[in-house]
Amino acid sequence: MIKYVGKRLLHLAWIMLAVSFLTFLLMYLTPGDAASKKLSAQGVAVSEEVLMQTRENMGLLRPFFIQYGDWMLHAMRFDLGVSFKDGFPVAEKLWKGLKNTAILMVVSILLSLLAAVPLAFLAALKKDSVFDHGIRLISFVGNSIPNFLISVLLIYFICVRAKLLPVVADKSVRGLILPCLALSIPIISRFVRQFRAEFLEQLGKPFVAGARARGVKEFYVLRDVFHNASINILTIVGLSVGTLLGGSVVIETIFRWPGLGKLAMDAITNRDYPVIQGFVLLTCAIYVTVNLITDISYHFIDPRLRER
Amino acid sequence: MKKLAKFSKLLVILCLLFAMTACSKASEESSAQGGQSQSAQGAQGAQGANAEPKLIRLAESFCYTSLDIHKDYYGWYTSIYGVSETLFRVADDMSIKPLLAKEYSVSEDGKTWTFQIADAMFSNKTPLTADMVSRNLQRAARENERFAYLASFTYATEGEKTLKITTPDIYPTMLSDLTAPELGIMDLDNTTDFDNAPVCTGPFVIKSFEPEGTVVVEKNAAYWNGEVKLDGAMFYYMQDDETKLNAMQAGDIDGYTSVTAAAKQILAADPASYVLTEIPATRLQFYVLNKNRLDDKVRQAVNLTVDLNSIADFLGGTVSPAVGPFSAAAPYGKVTKPAVDTAKAKSLLEEDGYVMGSDGYYAKNGETLTLSIGYYAARSLDSIAVLMQDQFKNVGIKAVLNVQEDPDSTYVATGEYDVALYCMIADKSGDPYYCCDALFRKGSKWALAGFANQKCEDLIDQLQYETDVNQRAKLANQIVQMSIDDNAFGYVGLFNKTTVTAKGVTGIAENCPFDFYGVSADTDVNK
Repeated sequence: MIKYVGKRLLHLAWIMLAVSFLTFLLMYLTPGDAASKKLSAQGVAVSEEVLMQTRENMGLLRPFFIQYGDWMLHAMRFDLGVSFKDGFPVAEKLWKGLKNTAILMVVSILLSLLAAVPLAFLAALKKDSVFDHGIRLISFVGNSIPNFLISVLLIYFICVRAKLLPVVADKSVRGLILPCLALSIPIISRFVRQFRAEFLEQLGKPFVAGARARGVKEFYVLRDVFHNASINILTIVGLSVGTLLGGSVVIETIFRWPGLGKLAMDAITNRDYPVIQGFVLLTCAIYVTVNLITDISYHFIDPRLRER
Repeated sequence: MKKLAKFSKLLVILCLLFAMTACSKASEESSAQGGQSQSAQGAQGAQGANAEPKLIRLAESFCYTSLDIHKDYYGWYTSIYGVSETLFRVADDMSIKPLLAKEYSVSEDGKTWTFQIADAMFSNKTPLTADMVSRNLQRAARENERFAYLASFTYATEGEKTLKITTPDIYPTMLSDLTAPELGIMDLDNTTDFDNAPVCTGPFVIKSFEPEGTVVVEKNAAYWNGEVKLDGAMFYYMQDDETKLNAMQAGDIDGYTSVTAAAKQILAADPASYVLTEIPATRLQFYVLNKNRLDDKVRQAVNLTVDLNSIADFLGGTVSPAVGPFSAAAPYGKVTKPAVDTAKAKSLLEEDGYVMGSDGYYAKNGETLTLSIGYYAARSLDSIAVLMQDQFKNVGIKAVLNVQEDPDSTYVATGEYDVALYCMIADKSGDPYYCCDALFRKGSKWALAGFANQKCEDLIDQLQYETDVNQRAKLANQIVQMSIDDNAFGYVGLFNKTTVTAKGVTGIAENCPFDFYGVSADTDVNK
């Protein structure tokens, strides 16, 4: 196991190197730079002289490999530099964004699992019933509505019409309700469809028919079905972490939640290379680590994997 | 199975612990904010034990990570928050009024400016001195590339209240430059945290600052320039237009600017609750016609075709049709341009040898008259590009849209466009020189389009050194008129500054065309 983990962590280093290089290259080739974005942030025209001086100060006039090499040398010493936009340490900005995104992500995934697992299980057990069709239809609709529309509808009905929650929420539990709901609705819808398919596959397996034929109590049959399906469920959840890390930018903007998604989007808009590079490294590390944890957890869930 | 159960339990416990930690942290932050409100209430308490504190809650589309006035554009927001003040300010009618400088004079050679500093004091009750002003301007020169030119000036003080600034050349835009919010004055000796709590002279002081989040200010009890009507203000960072509208409708905020056309319609339907104020502002939408690729008659035909009124109508009144880059109300905004005349546009094209083809487009030598419109999807330029394409089609000109994310490094830099759409602040602070310099100079980024010429350059040089305000306006009008007559530029619209306030809320700079003013001592809430 230790050898396996070590090997995966070695892969992580290579992946991070490749991803950081590709990202740096892509940003370098993309028109526009941090200096012009910073100087014209409020729509004020600046002279070419001021622009060039700012580029010089930011080190943007250096050749590509010098810029990348310089960044990489610092990154290897865990120094991600400072943001071009405001001069604040990138690590500090990422940590703040990560904390906020993690809160949103963990709560949303928990909420999604709490709703999706029983619904999918029941829909699979009552396949082709009215309940099943209803769940499938709702999950289809929930999956189709874009995040921003769900957010706006939630705000309109819950805050403006019913006045149950404020639009201007802080980072308290009350402030967490709407963004988590907005984020969870599409996830629940997707999970329900994926989990239902997984449960159905397990329910159709010969061991289920065999167990039932032997008169095994239904509770134990379903427990085994659930157990067997849990490996793929875990994979689906693990993969959705990556989506949630960068994909909640709309939610973060609408609900004023300063997370990683919004940080990354702002950094891209402002061509803030140090922040973009830091974000890419962080998400890459999280994504690979979550998947590693998911893979390791298979060993706990499936004894056959432990024997291999 | 037991291991699975244990693992699941462990996972759930970890998640719960994490969520609880987050919530408790959030609660701490929340109670910290609550503390701020109480503090604001406490300030009111000094005036009347049971009186409700007068607070205003506003939404802002921008919030920076720092409040260091001299850096980047942070000073715009400290000015909006009513925290920082400048030596001069631009009034609603675009005239320049004294603020922290109560008087000024300029030497005969136009190079030495003498300022008498007002009897102002910082929120910590330290009197403002000429030396402090001088040090602030020099700090701004060091901290902000856009103000690096201030380092070339020499600064001298006489006594506590007289500041002399000597410039290498005649510098007629001195007063206008000193209205820039980035040149706000801080107590450099007593400010210990420039990023979070600058000590300034404004009617409000920072109570709490959350970078790119909520900013809370409270009344400056030691304000030097009159009674401050409010006890405090909160500024919520809201980028999303829908969120702002919903917050307004839910009563969570008392006002915001940059109201969209759709939101304006909704809010205007309830005049009992909301007051909408709309004034032409300083942000200009314009296009540049590439003289190197289009001959005179085609450019003239284009300008006769673009119907600004229908564009303004389509944009739901968020812009006012522009004749030139400046508001027609300004003395330097007195220019004229021909009315829309599509029949004349067609005849010009025909005079130029173009023949209407069976496809409805003009062509010459077998080549369809096709214009490439460069634009970017911001400030409604995307809508304008499509509307212009449609208007061109009606007179037989084919237009191809070329959208770019970053105009400055693409079509503007290469000059590869027939028509280039752009948006910028045309009137920075009540003077025309900045815009003339940015648009019409030989070295400007628009010079690739072929407009820059010696006559214009001479006029801009004159404008640079002209000290008489009336003469400056006259020169600016001449320069802009040249750009119109030469069909080198087309001025589409000046963005309106549209502000919505709840009934009873007044004085949030809703009648000021500049973006960098907000709450002041006169801001009031009487619901």
